[in-house]
Amino acid sequence: MERVFVTGTGVVSALGIGVESSIAKLRNGESGIGSAKHFTSKYTNTLPFGEVDLSNDQLIDLTRCADETGVSRTTLLAYLAVGQAIDSSKLTIDELKSIRTGIISSTTVGGMCHTDELYTDANLKGEPSEYVRSYGLGEHTTRLIKKFEIGGFSSTINTACSSSANAVMLGARLIKSGRLDRVIVGGSDALAKFAVNGFNALMILSENPCKPFDKNRDGLTLGEGAGYLVLEAESVCQNKEKLAEVVGYGNANDAFHPSTTSEEAFGPCYAMQRALDSCKMNPTQIDYINAHGTGTVNNDETELFAFHKIFGEIPAFNSTKSYTGHTLAASGAIESIFSIAMMNNGELYTNLRCSEPLDTFGTPQILDYKAGVEINHIMTNSFGFGGNCTSVIYSKI
Amino acid sequence: MYITDLRSISPQKTYTNEFLKGELVHHDGIIFNVTEPDYMELIPRGLLRRMGKAVRMGVGTGLPLIQNNKNIDGILMGTANGGLENCIDFLNQIVEYDEGMLTPTNFVQSTPNAIAGQLALMDQNRGYNTTYTNGGHAFENTLLDALLLFEEGNAKKLLIGGIEEISNYNYNIDFLADHYKEVAVGNFDLIDSLTKGSVCGEGSNMFIVESEASQYYAKIEDVEQLTFPKEEDIELCVKSILERNNIQHNEIDTLMLGMNGDIDHNVWYEHVSEQLFPDTNVLTFKHLVGEYRTCTSFAVWLSAHILNGERSFMSSIEKRKIENKPIQHILIYNHFDEVNHSFILLKK
Amino acid sequence: MSQTREELSLELKKHIVEYLNLLDIKPEEINDDTPLFGPDLGLDSIDSVELIVLLDREYGVKINNPTEGRTILVDVNTIVDYILANKK
Repeated sequence: MERVFVTGTGVVSALGIGVESSIAKLRNGESGIGSAKHFTSKYTNTLPFGEVDLSNDQLIDLTRCADETGVSRTTLLAYLAVGQAIDSSKLTIDELKSIRTGIISSTTVGGMCHTDELYTDANLKGEPSEYVRSYGLGEHTTRLIKKFEIGGFSSTINTACSSSANAVMLGARLIKSGRLDRVIVGGSDALAKFAVNGFNALMILSENPCKPFDKNRDGLTLGEGAGYLVLEAESVCQNKEKLAEVVGYGNANDAFHPSTTSEEAFGPCYAMQRALDSCKMNPTQIDYINAHGTGTVNNDETELFAFHKIFGEIPAFNSTKSYTGHTLAASGAIESIFSIAMMNNGELYTNLRCSEPLDTFGTPQILDYKAGVEINHIMTNSFGFGGNCTSVIYSKI
Repeated sequence: MYITDLRSISPQKTYTNEFLKGELVHHDGIIFNVTEPDYMELIPRGLLRRMGKAVRMGVGTGLPLIQNNKNIDGILMGTANGGLENCIDFLNQIVEYDEGMLTPTNFVQSTPNAIAGQLALMDQNRGYNTTYTNGGHAFENTLLDALLLFEEGNAKKLLIGGIEEISNYNYNIDFLADHYKEVAVGNFDLIDSLTKGSVCGEGSNMFIVESEASQYYAKIEDVEQLTFPKEEDIELCVKSILERNNIQHNEIDTLMLGMNGDIDHNVWYEHVSEQLFPDTNVLTFKHLVGEYRTCTSFAVWLSAHILNGERSFMSSIEKRKIENKPIQHILIYNHFDEVNHSFILLKK
Repeated sequence: MSQTREELSLELKKHIVEYLNLLDIKPEEINDDTPLFGPDLGLDSIDSVELIVLLDREYGVKINNPTEGRTILVDVNTIVDYILANKK
């Protein structure tokens, strides 16, 4: 069975463009959450956001796609992050064009971030907008295939907030099965009135930057961004620098409620346990968990309970959503990329705004920055609406 | 993998047995709507009251399969758009109430993974659960994932399916994007109409697939997909799917083609039926159910019944009939808007 | 003439049936003291948010969060009391 390695990463989020600059901010405990400058919504006056500080025009310039029409912000963010991932893995044009190179992307809003245009088009209120062919969830993937000339299998996943974690999982499985040599996996979501109003209607948005795993947490902060990883089979990346190995993954459904996790945390527990089982690892081998940690009352309480059930003694964990906000479909990939960098740097980054940590099972939250830590195996969690839960385990090279 | 049970809600009477007995529904116009069953018997009304059409159709097909087939290891759904009507209803609320206080039900119901999530909830199924939204490859993705799960030994029995709903909204959007014909056409004239655009269809087609089975409708051998192929890629793809499954070219006795009456789209199908497989039976299906991004799930439903010996509806789907070619292998070839192309190989 | 309590109560029940899409339940079948979140109607937390939106849109009466709603959204009687006390 082929082993699967991460040979490149690309990320854009409220922490900026690229892994290096994002990590510098994580190290300094500098949050990217604040007032939105580019996103337009009634709520930009009252709610904080984890916005990517680039206008659509700046993104079009950066990704050199002025000649295309109807490129949604979701697609633009994906272009930027996929481009970085390809550069960082030094993939050649021939490698990209190969039928054995695939792409698995994910999004929850896709082109629907252009809410006003969608309103006009869907209700036939005027001339078709430039985005009329861009709303579909698979559209950004199709455009990525065209732009980067990716020759093989493609997929788009929407399991809500666990989408890009499932992209990593499917990508690794396709390589292990021998069907692909390499695959670009990840996700992208732009801030959208659609998501803001949806989460607001469910009354789970906080008026302040989110406080994951704090006793006084009162909801999540929405963010935006894109994260992509290049996964390669061992046989095709022997002479390349490898960032991490994808060793385990588990997927489960909580089967409880469309938008909340069960008190027993069935889904999160099964996802983590299956991830451990898939690589025959003991819970004690996990040195760090990047929690789903949205900052809602329900998520953090149930996730912490799940940690207790699976690990007993809970390893160090944080939620990097306290820096980026919740980037929905992109979160699993973005957080994987941050966690891998953290593992390779031997550092633990602070879980921000956790001044009164939830302490039901001790306080394993990372409350202060630490360097010189040996981290060999890490787990990232992503749980979504519809009960979709996925955990992925990466190991150090 | 083997199809051991299946269900369909479509613009034909496929939910009950009339279609299999040869009764056909005639559609005139650009929109082929499904005939929805009475769900009240099946779905608790506390749940039904919240469901949009896509979720309702998905649960209407999936729930009986779950009830009749115990110990399902996972649920895999493909839907390009999910509950788009709920989605735009929510969007309209956003605009019309100027982002004021909004009701969350439309939002929760509109996420494409609501179908697989709802089925998991009703089955208390905590197994593998995923939703593919990859345009014209969303259903094909579920097939490949199911094949992988069986190969890995991580499942023995799965529920898979493809669902798409027609709402005014997605019809409007796709109409503006030039997907549909300008002039209405009767469904039995669709395939040969050969003008610009097609007609808008919908449906939910679901399957219990198993890694091992002694009694089954048909065997799904493999699936292949291509995005933006060149003509020569199609031939390479056919070659590779046949080789991988140890099937000789002349063993393919029947093609099921996604012909949809669009003159540009037809070129691809003609190439496959005239150049690559000139001596096979040719069947079509979109005149029955219309065009939609996950309609290959209906082609699989139809093929499975044919391979299981059902014949009453054959005359309505035969485009080319070759004498002395009994149907043993069906190769489904489809593309959506010349972008997402796929082959699905089924065996008796 | 201002609306009587009985009229308000019936109107509210009609809105509840419409907003929550309560299939085959007629407004008249809901008693003023039927617990909304009990076994008869079987409402849940998402419905409570729908009810909060209903009160805002139809009566201009605000409830700030579901926790506050718990003491108000008990049955039709308690909601009518709240509307009468808070309607401007």
